[in-house]
Amino acid sequence: MSHFLDRLAFFKKDIGTFSQGHGIVTNEDRSWENAYRQRWAHDKIVRSTHGVNCTGSCSWKIYVKGGIVTWETQQTDYPRTRPDMPNHEPRGCSRGASYSWYIYSGNRLKYPLVRSRLMRLWREARASMSPVEAWRSIVEDSSKSDSYKQVRGQGGFVRAVWDEVNEIVAAANAYTIKRYGPDRVAGFSPIPAMSMVSYAAGTRYLSLIGGVCLSFYDWYCDLPPASPQTWGEQTDVPESADWYNSSFLMLWGSNVPQTRTPDAHFLTEVRYKGAKAVVVSPDYSEAAKFGDVWIHPKQGTDAALAMAMGHVILRDFHIDKQSDYFQDYCRQYSDFPLLVRLVKKGDALVPERLLRADDFVDGLGQENNPAWKTVAFDDKTKQIVVPNGSIGFRWGEQGKWNLEERTADGADSDLALTLIHDRDEVVPVAFPYFGNNKHDFFAGTDHADVLNRNIPVKTIALKDGEAYVTTVFDLFVANYGVARGLGGDNVANSFDDDIPYTPKWQERITGVPAEQVIAVARAFAENADKTKGRSMVIVGAGLNHWYHMDMIYRGIINMLVMCGCVGQSGGGWSHYVGQEKLRPQTGWLPLAFALDWNRPPRHMNSTSFWYAHTDQWRYESLSIDEILSPTAPDGDWSGSLIDYNVRAERMGWLPSAPQLNTNPLKIAAAADAAGKPPADYLVDQLKSGDVAFASEDPDDPENFPRNLFVWRSNLLGSSGKGHEYFLKHLLGTKHGVQGKDLGATDGTKPQEVAWHDEAPEGKLDLLVTLDFRMSTTCLYSDIVLPTATWYEKNDLNTSDMHPFIHPLSSAIDPVWECRSDWDIYKGIAKAFSEVAEGELGKEQDVVLVPILHDTAAELAQPYDVADWKRGDTEPVPGKTMPAVAVVERDYPNVYKRFTALGPLMNKLGNGGKGMAWNTEDEVTSLGALNGIVTEPGVSQGMPRIETDIDATEVILTLAPETNGQVAVKAWQSLSKATGREHAHLALPREDEKLRFRDVQAQPRKIISSPIWSGLESEHVSYTAGYTNVHELIPWRTLSGRQQLYQDHLWMRAFGEQLCVYKPPIDTKTIKPMLNQRSNGNHEIVLNFITPHQKWGIHSTYTDNLLMLTLSRGGPIVWISEIDAKQAGIVDNDWIEAFNANGALVARAVVSQRIPQGMTMMYHAQEKIVNVPGSEITGSRGGIHNSVTRAVTKPTHMIGGYAQQSYGFNYYGTVGSNRDEFVIMRKMNQVDWLDRPAPQSKLEAAE
Amino acid sequence: MHTFKILSALLTYPESETQAAAPEFADVLVQEGLLPQAEIAALACLFDELANRELMDLQERYVLLFDRSKALSLHLFEHVHGESRDRGQAMVTLAEMYHEHGLAISAKELPDYLPLFLEFLAQLPPADACALLAEPLTILSALRQRLAKRDSVYAHVFAALESLAWAKPNERELDELLSKPDEDPNDHAALDRAWDEEPVTFGPGGDGCPPADRNAPGFNAAGGS
Repeated sequence: MSHFLDRLAFFKKDIGTFSQGHGIVTNEDRSWENAYRQRWAHDKIVRSTHGVNCTGSCSWKIYVKGGIVTWETQQTDYPRTRPDMPNHEPRGCSRGASYSWYIYSGNRLKYPLVRSRLMRLWREARASMSPVEAWRSIVEDSSKSDSYKQVRGQGGFVRAVWDEVNEIVAAANAYTIKRYGPDRVAGFSPIPAMSMVSYAAGTRYLSLIGGVCLSFYDWYCDLPPASPQTWGEQTDVPESADWYNSSFLMLWGSNVPQTRTPDAHFLTEVRYKGAKAVVVSPDYSEAAKFGDVWIHPKQGTDAALAMAMGHVILRDFHIDKQSDYFQDYCRQYSDFPLLVRLVKKGDALVPERLLRADDFVDGLGQENNPAWKTVAFDDKTKQIVVPNGSIGFRWGEQGKWNLEERTADGADSDLALTLIHDRDEVVPVAFPYFGNNKHDFFAGTDHADVLNRNIPVKTIALKDGEAYVTTVFDLFVANYGVARGLGGDNVANSFDDDIPYTPKWQERITGVPAEQVIAVARAFAENADKTKGRSMVIVGAGLNHWYHMDMIYRGIINMLVMCGCVGQSGGGWSHYVGQEKLRPQTGWLPLAFALDWNRPPRHMNSTSFWYAHTDQWRYESLSIDEILSPTAPDGDWSGSLIDYNVRAERMGWLPSAPQLNTNPLKIAAAADAAGKPPADYLVDQLKSGDVAFASEDPDDPENFPRNLFVWRSNLLGSSGKGHEYFLKHLLGTKHGVQGKDLGATDGTKPQEVAWHDEAPEGKLDLLVTLDFRMSTTCLYSDIVLPTATWYEKNDLNTSDMHPFIHPLSSAIDPVWECRSDWDIYKGIAKAFSEVAEGELGKEQDVVLVPILHDTAAELAQPYDVADWKRGDTEPVPGKTMPAVAVVERDYPNVYKRFTALGPLMNKLGNGGKGMAWNTEDEVTSLGALNGIVTEPGVSQGMPRIETDIDATEVILTLAPETNGQVAVKAWQSLSKATGREHAHLALPREDEKLRFRDVQAQPRKIISSPIWSGLESEHVSYTAGYTNVHELIPWRTLSGRQQLYQDHLWMRAFGEQLCVYKPPIDTKTIKPMLNQRSNGNHEIVLNFITPHQKWGIHSTYTDNLLMLTLSRGGPIVWISEIDAKQAGIVDNDWIEAFNANGALVARAVVSQRIPQGMTMMYHAQEKIVNVPGSEITGSRGGIHNSVTRAVTKPTHMIGGYAQQSYGFNYYGTVGSNRDEFVIMRKMNQVDWLDRPAPQSKLEAAE
Repeated sequence: MHTFKILSALLTYPESETQAAAPEFADVLVQEGLLPQAEIAALACLFDELANRELMDLQERYVLLFDRSKALSLHLFEHVHGESRDRGQAMVTLAEMYHEHGLAISAKELPDYLPLFLEFLAQLPPADACALLAEPLTILSALRQRLAKRDSVYAHVFAALESLAWAKPNERELDELLSKPDEDPNDHAALDRAWDEEPVTFGPGGDGCPPADRNAPGFNAAGGS
């Protein structure tokens, strides 16, 4: 009974033991667990990514709690790839994982900042004057403007409120436009693909006011000019998943695990599948361990290596025995069968240009564009024929611009690759050789300047007489020095002959054993032969940042084309890109450049712009004779590099900014007064010399760029080649330039450009930078605007590396006074409209437009180069000089225009890359989606673009990649030109429309579109050139084929018709400084290499303590053990590296990774982090670009010529920097210079 | 108490409003009597500057000191959590504490902004305020020392705060805080220390596991929160 009462029926006691005593129940306080529960609790997860300069576009989950970002983790819900292929995730690296730190970091910009000296002047002036008048009173009084310009970079900021700061910017812009012209206002922002709305915000504002948008891809030297030259495409590459489809991968100058971290897994995975990997890198990089073979040529000599490999491939797979696949591929897809004319130069014959239908008496029956139709010899009919697909077929007619093996008259063709069987004669032809150039640090050979090699030719009758002709292939084989039984000198029968370009020959230059070259080349080609092109080369900045990068790239492209790899799954080139694929490009262009309101926008190639306006040309040490070919056609090849640029601008090849030495708003009125149309009037003025190009006198104050916006970029901390010249001439502040200009050294002055003995300092009146952190550029700015981070705004991201459209999402509102780029420029636009009232109204703006690629105008100058200013020809706009357009600006309505989709989309339609389509349906649907402007005014009734999300919808709705209906329209538009049906590629997805919320829910794959040359489907991964090969769409080149022979006069002048090895140039920055300013320590000379790093994405993250801790913190350079020993440097010593351009200080990392003779400095280490003073310059350290100076190359200025016509970020001069050398020595004194700048009235430390 | 409000105002970006009010600060402090006379006297110089120097000079100095220098950040968790992930949670916890006292943040500021925290303290009974002020005391002390090293008048504000807190800074934590780099130009030894790589110790250190109450709104440098 008592037991019954004691016994528990419904409970058991929760004390004691269980599990046979292995467990014990305790009653201790468990409230500590709440900490962990709360720690990982959150209110919401938002999808975002990291913008601007990382190729990853990785998906991240952002955790938000109580309105505060608490952490981020990798997102893993990507759409799947295909069966038998690995998926994309996980994507993301340690850099991304530390990003949330930026939001609340001490480095975060919190408030708009203005240089206090400027602020004082402004408030004083503004008390009694209108905004525009106030600005005038400051900048036109040099005692005032110098006072703030000279302290740029030395602190002295005060906070400002948005209304005030917007008014200052607006007043500066309005005054500059009125007094000097809208093309004196410029903006620089890179990589629109990563946060494209943020990019578009600034360029939309600039384009509405007539300002200049500066390019970046060419300036960063990530643009490979070889790509536009060969394919007529800026850059198109496989997505990283396609690496997995390859079976032979070369990593050439690319450090995949370090710089493409989220994609590297595809490389490791395909090796498990059996793919062979060859790594070519001078240092033992992180990638080297992935190589079955590691080849380490001397840095900068890769072209020699590639040429030797090409030699082996030609010998083994094209000459001694022939791969059917290679031959068929080259016949159909390359310019190998096309005919080239040979002409006399002195006693020798040299290859001239590709023959055209127009060269024949009857034009070979071609009425339309015969000067632009290339010809070949048909093996079947033994006749000269005009194959389909050349650029002449692209414009002015329809249906024959395709790569079908047919001739213009519809007959099937079988083009001869060589004339060796049908030759009339064998003649010696002269090839230039540059490998014998003397260079202090690069070994050359002693072969002659000109190498004569025998070529099979036919003699044919042309309009102007008989001529020798041969095929590109015949020249190509001879150029490689491959003997074919035609006798003569300078060709090799054995790989062991020391004749350019045998494996033996390259040993002296690259240091790579010939056997290794032969083995790799054979394996590469054999794999391609067996797999129909699945050999791939992943190329990196290690190749592209050299002055003669096109030679290195073309050497590799030649290998790929010879082996039929381009356009095949798992094959081709995988350039590291750097501009990133803006996949919905045609939807974005109208938003970004305000094409919905006015066309054309003002675009400028940055390298030429900075070269001129930072006065780097005044210090030019490279003369034309150093790079001119011994086989250059007769003519005047005198002048200096900037002269070639000026000529290129005058002839309509390259753009100009500022454009003319007069305000473009005043030309139309003057023309009116003279009773002439503006174009005619301007031509007269140019001819008379009353008006000239601004570039002919960049140091005249009338021609200064006056206002500059920098956003999403660290121009001065990261990408400003010739950093010290920027500081000296553009900004007018303290600088470290050591060398003397051509005036002081009595050098040869330019012919086309006015020389002022006194170089201007402080050309810019206003530098405005938008950033979320205090970067080096912010430090030098007059106005700093705090922008939203990548977790505080809505935007879109796309990448080359994967096929998804990805959002940036606002997880929280911008903290402090930060605003998104969209809102910042919207605010400036509003202030500008108010300030402009009464100062500027509707104005006629005369805009000069260079001859543009992918427009009919690209058929401008088929043969010779004729400069109207030198009297070679008449100036004809759009033909022999830039086109002249008149654009109506409506300055008081800039804000209304900014916030609505303008009328031109309905009126003119949309399009891109030579295609055009009607887009009225999309405009209507945008009105329904975003709402219609109801307020009266210029934008009433138009779709709204108020918010950043509205802006994303404009892009997504207008672009074929994200709107199936547009994709179908785009393919149909292309079908008209090619005469082939393509719409089947998009029809299955016609009803798909991706919207911003869709991509927030999950990243979405793009819809295949003719804007790009790859397909995204269930059968293939995206790869470049795929639709050229499989849909027979021509490349957008002269011949419509992959163009391995470059026949423009300037290409011939500089010896680059065919790929050759050219050693690095001599920048001559060492001798004036070596052992001149001794600090007692031994000085050594090293090649200065600036690769990407592991602990930052350019300068981003290099101010993040997590990343700094993972590396060494502060600036470092890597040197070899041998060099270190010689200079008495031990690991972690402070060293100084300097030359005539400037100086930098850093810690030494002494490592056996680095070969002797070079030093590596991971680029873009911030000046704001742990940088002490330099013994040479006496001012703070300097950055990696303190020792560089941009040197331009004339072949990159070519224009008005098919694929070598200008396009923004597509062609133009590039900012190479790896040919540079530095003197290095150990420092004696490390001075942190952490004293306040002397000018500050109330010192921080009193 | 107005004392805390005044100290908050002193550490806020100087505006014309602050300038206008500055002449009264000393009287209010004396009246309230919370702050020792010596501390009030030491602040006189700053009051005077605020009242009489040109506003833009004051602002420029403020930006240089507090907006531009991480070592002098007025966001307290910058010194405790720096770039660690704990910072977000710590801010959340702090905001909850304000909320419990019926206050919500209206300015575009973070919960750990010192002037904001001081304004919060001004709303509390003096005893509570002084007790709570003891929590970030180590940070305040470190900031005072850094400012004093630069001969900045702002050091006195932190000295005043230290005198108000009912505690002494934890020496160990203070040393740890002060060992973090302070961008001192000429202290080569400190610089080299900062560059030294620390030996890695696996497992719990000598101090054992961190305390259980990780979610308390703690400002203690060592424990994390």
